[in-house]
Amino acid sequence: MEQSLAARDHCGQRPLKQPSLALMAHLVLTGLTKRYGQTVAVASLDLAVERGESVALLGPSGCGKTTTLRMLAGLIAPDAGRVTVADQDLTQVPTHKRDMGYVFQSYALFPHLDVAANVAFGLAERGIARSERDRRAREALALVRLAGFEGRRPRELSGGQQQRVALARALVLRPQVLLLDESLSNLDARLRESMRHEIREIQRNLAITTLFVTHDQTEALTMCDRIAVMNRGRIEQIGTAREIYDTPATRFVAGFVGRINTIPLARDATGLNAGGIAIRAHGVPDGPVDLFLRPQLVALAARSEPAGDANRLEGVAARTVFVGDRSEVLVDTAAGRLVVELAPGAPAPADGAEIALLWAPETGRVFAREDA
Amino acid sequence: MKAPARIAWLALPAGAVLAFVYVYPMLDLGRMSFNRTGPTGAMVPDWSLAIWRELLADPFTLELTWNSIVLSAVATTGALLLAYPLALFLFRTDSRWRGLIAAIAITPMLVNGVARVFGWLAILGDRGLVNSILLSAGLVDQPVRLVYNWTGVAIGLTESLMPYMILALMAGFGRLDRTLEEAAASLGAPPWRRFMRVTLPLSLPAIVLGWLLCFVLAMSAYITPKLLGGGRVFLLATEIFELAVTNVNWPMAAALALYTLILLLLFLAAYGALARRAA
Repeated sequence: MEQSLAARDHCGQRPLKQPSLALMAHLVLTGLTKRYGQTVAVASLDLAVERGESVALLGPSGCGKTTTLRMLAGLIAPDAGRVTVADQDLTQVPTHKRDMGYVFQSYALFPHLDVAANVAFGLAERGIARSERDRRAREALALVRLAGFEGRRPRELSGGQQQRVALARALVLRPQVLLLDESLSNLDARLRESMRHEIREIQRNLAITTLFVTHDQTEALTMCDRIAVMNRGRIEQIGTAREIYDTPATRFVAGFVGRINTIPLARDATGLNAGGIAIRAHGVPDGPVDLFLRPQLVALAARSEPAGDANRLEGVAARTVFVGDRSEVLVDTAAGRLVVELAPGAPAPADGAEIALLWAPETGRVFAREDA
Repeated sequence: MKAPARIAWLALPAGAVLAFVYVYPMLDLGRMSFNRTGPTGAMVPDWSLAIWRELLADPFTLELTWNSIVLSAVATTGALLLAYPLALFLFRTDSRWRGLIAAIAITPMLVNGVARVFGWLAILGDRGLVNSILLSAGLVDQPVRLVYNWTGVAIGLTESLMPYMILALMAGFGRLDRTLEEAAASLGAPPWRRFMRVTLPLSLPAIVLGWLLCFVLAMSAYITPKLLGGGRVFLLATEIFELAVTNVNWPMAAALALYTLILLLLFLAAYGALARRAA
């Protein structure tokens, strides 16, 4: 761990040069491809992860994110492309020589071994003496707050505890790279939330290069430095949570990450319109397009309020839904039903109230319509 | 796990059949073992321990027991070693040949035992396949005796146990999970170590299940030892038949049959005790 921390500092000492990503990056995937028959699971995927960085592979099931992770770990062989870690080509290296920690979705704890033996499994493979193994296993268990559980069997543990044993088992080896495959999806909502923060903290403290596969955007947003949104075997966009959320690069990213309104737009002689109402927007591609609008970027206003430079769409408040930490208003407009987030402290409009929606032209994102 | 009384009647049909074809004959056999053999060889009804005393005092009984246990253990272990890799392959392959290979592995069960023995005679006999090859290759001057002795019986018995072993192993492999081996690999274990530290320990229940089942089958095997043993191989099962049919000594045959049964029950009890200790 001291080692990887030192290495990180070393990287941090060269901020003046604008470093090429490929030179800086600790983990690099180049042109990684996997086909199953006619289906392309992963299509020439490129990804560079810096030392100590945590990157999420976010996407719907079947997008190729787990296949990517398994190729990285050497559990399946890519049809093309390369995997390098610290400038070392690992593409042909078998899993057991890759020095990557892998936390499986099912945890994959060894049922015939107790918790301490599970955690010490990899240490034994490295020929470390028994007493040293025990000491390090205890340390790793303390790190995941499971001190005192050494003698338990995996089946005697709750899901969250098993999850943490799996994490300790991977971390105790101080791997170069940590791979997490939907590691929280089998936990209940409360536990998932606390584990998110726990894992994130451990990952940060150890400064361990981490790739985290998930279909849960909250997990991706809260646990990772950057997010790679995957769809159909490709990375659609990679960036920080903010970038992904505020400026989605593609229609898929806009629709997949966060709640969003999709408003079909039409073209006429003067420009774009939504349900006959003229709309202004930036970055409009050719052909049929849709407008994507975040619920919290739309303001509720009285019909009498002037629109100014903003787009304006009249509607009728259908219903206000209290979602716990905020309220959402469903508004029926000429362009369909839209969801608008109620500003904190603002009074909810009465059901059936005639209102107007206002938003600045630059807040919406416009993407070409997909052939349905 | 206690079955509610309401569903206990589900066990009734099987219970009735077992009572009729198993419990009653066993009781009858038990009763018979306390009879005496008259001077003419006919069975004389009695309540005497004479037969049991004679059986247990006879050193031949001990020899039969030893022979049966050693042969069964050897054949069962041989079947295990041959069946384990195949069963493991069948359990986890997603090859499209899986069904076919499984069927081929199990068909010997469908072949009549006598027919199978004649197959072995054709292969292992003095002028059989193996000896022809050995002789023509100049490896031996005289045919090697592979049948009508212990070797032949062990080979035939091993083969006849294999289908049962494969089925028992595949049924017992329940806890084997590919992901566990992947986890072991990610922790730095090369293939052989993965097998020794994960696959083998987790398939131990299957190995014990298959071994016990086949051991019991081997102990009661009759046709293969009889035909491949050529009268030189003496076992509990063959001796029971000899006593009952050739010597017409029914009380003694009954006593030896019960003796064999008790022996097997002791084996299973010992296994049960061991299994409880391990758990």
